[in-house]
Amino acid sequence: MNEILLGCIQCGKCTGGCPVSTRSTLNIRKLIYRSLIKIKDKNKDFGIWECTTCSTCSIRCPKGVNVVDYIIDLRSYEIEGGKVQPQVRDTLESVFKFGNPWGKIREKRADWIEGNGVNILKPGEKIEFLYFVGCTPCYETRTQEVAKAMVRVLKTASSNFAILGTQETCCGNEIKRMGELGLFEMLMEDNTKLFKEFDIGLLFTTSPHCYNTFKNEYPEIGFEVEHYTTVINRFIKEQRIKPKGNFEKKVVFQDPCFLGKQNDIFEEPREILGNIPGIELVEFERSRERSLCCEGGGGRMWVESESDAERLAATRVKDAADLGVDVIATACPFCLLTLEDAVKTTNLEDKIRVMDIIEILAESVNLETKNKD
Amino acid sequence: MTKDIFVIAEHRRGEIRDITFELLTKGYELSKDGGRLHTVLLGFQNEKMIDELKPFSDGILNIDDEKLKDFNAEYYQMVLSNLLQEKKPFITLLGQTAFGIDLAPSLATALDMPYAADCIDIEIDKERVYTEKQIYGGKISSRVSLVENWGYMVSVRPGSIAPKEGELKAEVTAITSPLKEEIDYRRFVQYIEAAKGEVDITQAEVVVGIGRGLKEDKNLPLMEEFAKSIGGVLACSRPVVDAGWLSKDRQVGSSGKTVKPKLYIAVGISGAFQHVMGMKGADTIVAINKDPNAPIFTVADYGIVGDLFQIIPKLNEKVLEVK
Amino acid sequence: MNIAVCIKRVPETAEAAVNIDSSEKRIVEDQLVFDINEADNYALEEALLLKEKTEGDITLFTVGPKEADEVIKMGLAKGATCGVRITPENLDSLDSYTIAKLLAEPIKEENFDLVLTGCISSDAGNSQVGVTLAELLGIPHASLVINMEIEDDSVTVQRELEGGLLGELKIKLPALFTIQTGINEPRYASILGIKRAAQKEIKVVENITVEGMKTEIVRMYYPPAGKMAEILEGGVEEVSGKLCEILKGKGLL
Repeated sequence: MNEILLGCIQCGKCTGGCPVSTRSTLNIRKLIYRSLIKIKDKNKDFGIWECTTCSTCSIRCPKGVNVVDYIIDLRSYEIEGGKVQPQVRDTLESVFKFGNPWGKIREKRADWIEGNGVNILKPGEKIEFLYFVGCTPCYETRTQEVAKAMVRVLKTASSNFAILGTQETCCGNEIKRMGELGLFEMLMEDNTKLFKEFDIGLLFTTSPHCYNTFKNEYPEIGFEVEHYTTVINRFIKEQRIKPKGNFEKKVVFQDPCFLGKQNDIFEEPREILGNIPGIELVEFERSRERSLCCEGGGGRMWVESESDAERLAATRVKDAADLGVDVIATACPFCLLTLEDAVKTTNLEDKIRVMDIIEILAESVNLETKNKD
Repeated sequence: MTKDIFVIAEHRRGEIRDITFELLTKGYELSKDGGRLHTVLLGFQNEKMIDELKPFSDGILNIDDEKLKDFNAEYYQMVLSNLLQEKKPFITLLGQTAFGIDLAPSLATALDMPYAADCIDIEIDKERVYTEKQIYGGKISSRVSLVENWGYMVSVRPGSIAPKEGELKAEVTAITSPLKEEIDYRRFVQYIEAAKGEVDITQAEVVVGIGRGLKEDKNLPLMEEFAKSIGGVLACSRPVVDAGWLSKDRQVGSSGKTVKPKLYIAVGISGAFQHVMGMKGADTIVAINKDPNAPIFTVADYGIVGDLFQIIPKLNEKVLEVK
Repeated sequence: MNIAVCIKRVPETAEAAVNIDSSEKRIVEDQLVFDINEADNYALEEALLLKEKTEGDITLFTVGPKEADEVIKMGLAKGATCGVRITPENLDSLDSYTIAKLLAEPIKEENFDLVLTGCISSDAGNSQVGVTLAELLGIPHASLVINMEIEDDSVTVQRELEGGLLGELKIKLPALFTIQTGINEPRYASILGIKRAAQKEIKVVENITVEGMKTEIVRMYYPPAGKMAEILEGGVEEVSGKLCEILKGKGLL
């Protein structure tokens, strides 16, 4: 049935590395085993919706089996059958109808823009940098702050940038990983067609998830795609952005899976943080390739885990508390939301702040000293 | 042509339902145009209900038959289509309720009579009848005319007319039930009470109502904590029950429970009329909603426009401080 | 069991601004997103669940513009057998009665055991078409159905009454039920499923004009601004504080 799996030697490295295997019913090795010997056990819950598609399994597999693709296959089989959890259904229907997974109408997509506004690209226009904001920073109130910080930083860099405003539509990264391959194809075709209406020099994203799919899964996109950390890091090196204000804090960086593990961007975020005066940057024991997933990927932002065991984000926040940091920095809207939620549930709100790198930079660049403590 | 107004009385388990008095209030107003107001009462052992209805109309047409004890659209339609054909009232009023919704459309169709559903107001202009209703979830109003006919049927949204005390003295006319044989293709079996939950939201002095704005059930603990801090119980609107986040006994609204607490806080509830029906009797109503145009703000005494996920935690903090 | 399901394509207006066009008899639809009417979606799911249990066919019926094919395709993707779209010339002036009349004709031609539809539409909200249709078809009905069990040639249904009370009825087939939301958990129609369904034929009834409207929209208008809550202004901190003071002042804390 599944050619993807034929290389599997049942060594179990996938399951050993899987961050959710310890807290859920998902056991990748067993799942593959059942598929290989063709056990059909339709009614059993294999926990396939627990997977965050962080890709640790695929990266660690000595035989190069793309395990995540297998999970996506299993999900897509359920999606085609139609009987999926209501949250999965509602998320997918929202993307189909409104172009975002948050159930919000398109007209409100650019409502986050404040003050002087941002240049919104019109058909036929040429632009050096297109900032692809992404569904979550467009609609979700906490991460709207990230998009606002991005705009403030970009404005100081005298860069020629614009956004798509209400024309922007879901990139499809999570949709593909939820197994709705038809909807992903549709989004890819629609977005590719939309991008062709403009003359875009480079597109960069808030989210590593959008970045991942544009970079690796849009064959006809026709221009460079970057995550904002690489663009901003370059701007700092070129001295177009000058961090000036002191940010006297002990900071640890959470590597987003779709930025680090899956796209090998480890240095740039750390370099940005390193260039902000005052920061003492420390590392998690598990960092970079070994970084612990926050559980926000693969559709898990909208699909609740069946497990009552401690969330990985809570584990991560406790690790950060042990390091004695003031701030957990990240560069992904999903990490930001899951970690911030975990800070609340672990009652560490007084001790630890969760911030996107761009928020820290915005404070420094704009000499904002409104640090809350 | 008569200008008589007929109100089809609605009752359940021997009790007249509030909508009947709302309809009679409107019916009385409409009957001043040169007609008489009649209450049409279909039921079994109707004496007690007749006494209660007497002050509200000029006449009561009483059809007493065991088959009419519990509402069965088939029997009711048989009786009423005969009666309306014969008496030819100008306007027949029913409630837009589980009773009216099941009866009015087929009855009007059987009589080939123009019927306007779910109206909040009715106006007579010479021989024509116009109604007002809300469409698109209350965002738009619409004036509807009924095509010319000898008689018209209108169903009225519950709660849209403030009932007044009756000052009339109805003359009761007994009408022989035309029902003979049992109908075997539609039988009333029984009433079933909704399962009782752990909390009785109708008894609480403070009720925190949550709606679609909650987004996911994982946000429930936040609301539970807030309800606890403020000394209230958690209730909800229909979508929350449909989504399975809270049980049916927590639902406030026309298909759920009616609450009259001292304080009702509507969080993330847009204020569809079905929900408003169940909570508008609260002494003080506070609404927290993202959409400044949400209809809930027209019901509330105090409103906060904003994101509930930001406001509730802060409000919770403040409440605990003040307490 | 042969089941007919009547569905309607309606605009999503829960969040969107709704504007009236210059005719004052319609709303502006350009900016709106359309979907299958919520209650109809539950009716469709109920039919699909029955089909899985008892086999048989599901035929979808809709009265609407060409674009209503979208909701038919969605239903076909979920497992309905075939679809019929009825598009009369005077589509814009239909009332609930004539919609029921249009549905009755093709439904009468076939022998359906069961006709299902939603108990209310999210646009006009009359709760009228289903029960009217039952009368035109000459079959018994039950509205606001929240539970149904089929045994041979009859169905035990529970109707949702007010105040959390249910009314149980036993009804012989053929019958028509209008389905209340929450009766089941509607499934998802995948995009590939919808694309595959696009290849199935949708029967179109057009070039007809229906007569006998019973009601007519005179004009639409924006609801008059009624009483309005006192809106507390300020940041999160400020409004929370203000509200606490008010509630405390009223002895509610």
